[in-house]
Amino acid sequence: MVHGFAKYRATAGWLLLVLLTGYAVLSLLWQQIHLYPGIPETDPVTIHEARIAQLRPLLPPSGAVGYVTTVENGEIFAAEKTFTNVEFLAQYVLTQYTLAPRIVRNSPDLPFVVGNFIDGPPAPGFLEKNGLVPIRDLGDGLILYRKDRKP
Amino acid sequence: MIVFFLAPLLLSLISGVLLTFIFLPSPKNDLQGLLLRLFVGGGLGIGLSACLYFVSLPAGLSGYIPLIDLAVCLVLGLIGYVLMKRDRREAERPAESQLPDRKAALPKMGSKLETWIAVLFAVELLASLGSFLFAFLKEPHGKWDAWLIWNMHARFLYRSGEAWREVFAGGMDWSHWDYPLLLPLSIVRGWKYIGNDSIYIPAAFALLFTLLTLGLLLCALAFLRSRIQGYLAAMILLGTPFFIMMGASQFADVPLAFFMLATLVLLCLPARSPENRFGATVLAGIAAGLCAWTKNEGLLFLLIVTGSLFGTTLYADGWRSARKKTVRFLAGALPILLIVIYFKTQLSPANDLMEGFSLTVAAAKLTDFSRYAEIAKAFFITGISFTQGLIDLRVGMQLNPGAVNILLLIVYLLLTGVRIDDRDRTGLVRTAAVLLMILAGYFFVYVMTPLDLGYHLATSLNRLFLQLWPSVIFLFFLTAGAPETAPSPGDISRTASKPSTTKPAKGNKPKRIREPK
Repeated sequence: MVHGFAKYRATAGWLLLVLLTGYAVLSLLWQQIHLYPGIPETDPVTIHEARIAQLRPLLPPSGAVGYVTTVENGEIFAAEKTFTNVEFLAQYVLTQYTLAPRIVRNSPDLPFVVGNFIDGPPAPGFLEKNGLVPIRDLGDGLILYRKDRKP
Repeated sequence: MIVFFLAPLLLSLISGVLLTFIFLPSPKNDLQGLLLRLFVGGGLGIGLSACLYFVSLPAGLSGYIPLIDLAVCLVLGLIGYVLMKRDRREAERPAESQLPDRKAALPKMGSKLETWIAVLFAVELLASLGSFLFAFLKEPHGKWDAWLIWNMHARFLYRSGEAWREVFAGGMDWSHWDYPLLLPLSIVRGWKYIGNDSIYIPAAFALLFTLLTLGLLLCALAFLRSRIQGYLAAMILLGTPFFIMMGASQFADVPLAFFMLATLVLLCLPARSPENRFGATVLAGIAAGLCAWTKNEGLLFLLIVTGSLFGTTLYADGWRSARKKTVRFLAGALPILLIVIYFKTQLSPANDLMEGFSLTVAAAKLTDFSRYAEIAKAFFITGISFTQGLIDLRVGMQLNPGAVNILLLIVYLLLTGVRIDDRDRTGLVRTAAVLLMILAGYFFVYVMTPLDLGYHLATSLNRLFLQLWPSVIFLFFLTAGAPETAPSPGDISRTASKPSTTKPAKGNKPKRIREPK
């Protein structure tokens, strides 16, 4: 009698497991299918990569280049740490991801500087203060600068 | 093109499988045994190929990697063939030791319940592959850490050519250049074969490690317990959305989860297969070494497994056996550990967690009990919720158990009861000890972290739990009673399997195992 009860418990065990895992697996699939039509044809990383890749022929094949964006350089990592904005860090990292093996320094103090202003222009006077002279405007907020040694 | 795409994967898989034939000279190569070889060996092969590629870099031989891989395969194949021939000749003589006849211990293939569960497993597998595919189509470069760390490192190493060393001193601390190179180098190796840095290679490795982890869990439990237990355990993993999404995200957490599981499975194997005792422990050492070559957490795991192996064997079998086993284990881990040591001392920058470390700071943190409370709370919430995926950093940690979580395993265990095979007892205690100690280790890493505690917990704890999740499932199913043989009262601590017909090896005394009623 008790042994029979143990059998029922075991059956309940695997039934519960099969039902819940089945529900979880199908929910995930449904969620993914449901999201799919809303996904743009090209993902944001690929779009960003195609945009930044235009810089490759204009830069030396190795070495370091600088980077500036809508906010001051110091704010890029600070905003991510406080969870207030991860976009600026993502843009910086993707610029580095695209331009590897060149090293993209989070600083305006290099001979060549990538300006990534997809989220708007920098604060007034920022470029002048850092002696950045535009070399080429590639559109969509992407500008390559030269560092003028005497700002 | 497709040949070059598949070649690095296949050569790694083949060399790993051949390695299992050398180290696990099991005379029984039924489908189950071969699948276990495929899943264990496949992962080890990928890891060892990454080690080989790393060694070829300073030697300037990375351009010849396809030839080196092929040569390794041929050599391993030759050694495997010679050993197999020898074993066959020995097998013709009256056998002194053989693998236990697992077939007798398992329910007949194709029992109704097994067929149903196999069909349901297949449906869940297909659905999960669909989810994986959609996740890949949505984010072909993977999620944040994939392009911030793993694929980024692979790109640098591939595109830098001969100047590959310079990237480690490039000052890009935010990309964690101290992280070990198993995954990036596996990707670079794939790119070398096809001649470009295609996004499909990282995705292929991501899919491969996801499937290898799943397959290893299934086959290990099918080997040690029953096929039904294997299917059910694999279904738990498939029902973990975070596992599938992390797999598709191209992070190193799923590969690490694989190597952790492989280590613990291989350490459980000798109890059932005394003939393979030597080789299984060496392979476990290799798997643990590869943990350290995959992520920094792997170093802690290697340390803890070594200690637990020594401790549990000392308790169960005495000093000599403990020393022997530990030496074998370390013999497997050592070559990879040397690579990790070389990498850590000669190439990698300092780890960010060591930043600003001093005894005063450490003492202040160790005596700050509010940190303990915060970490304990995070462990509790994440322990129940991590299976559901990444947390929304803006919202913070919230209880979200979902359908599949640790509570489901506990309920399953309560329903099916506990059935532990005497032979598995030491392995089980060891696995539990390793998992508990590594959790304790992670706890104290958080206590000491120089990063903002909330930020550090929110961005990493769920992934740390995911790394342990396949091993936790393995432990639960090694403990739980099989649904096809429900335990009767008073039979809670014995196995349902029949006693082995094998003559046990020296030092592995047989214990009476009660027959199921």
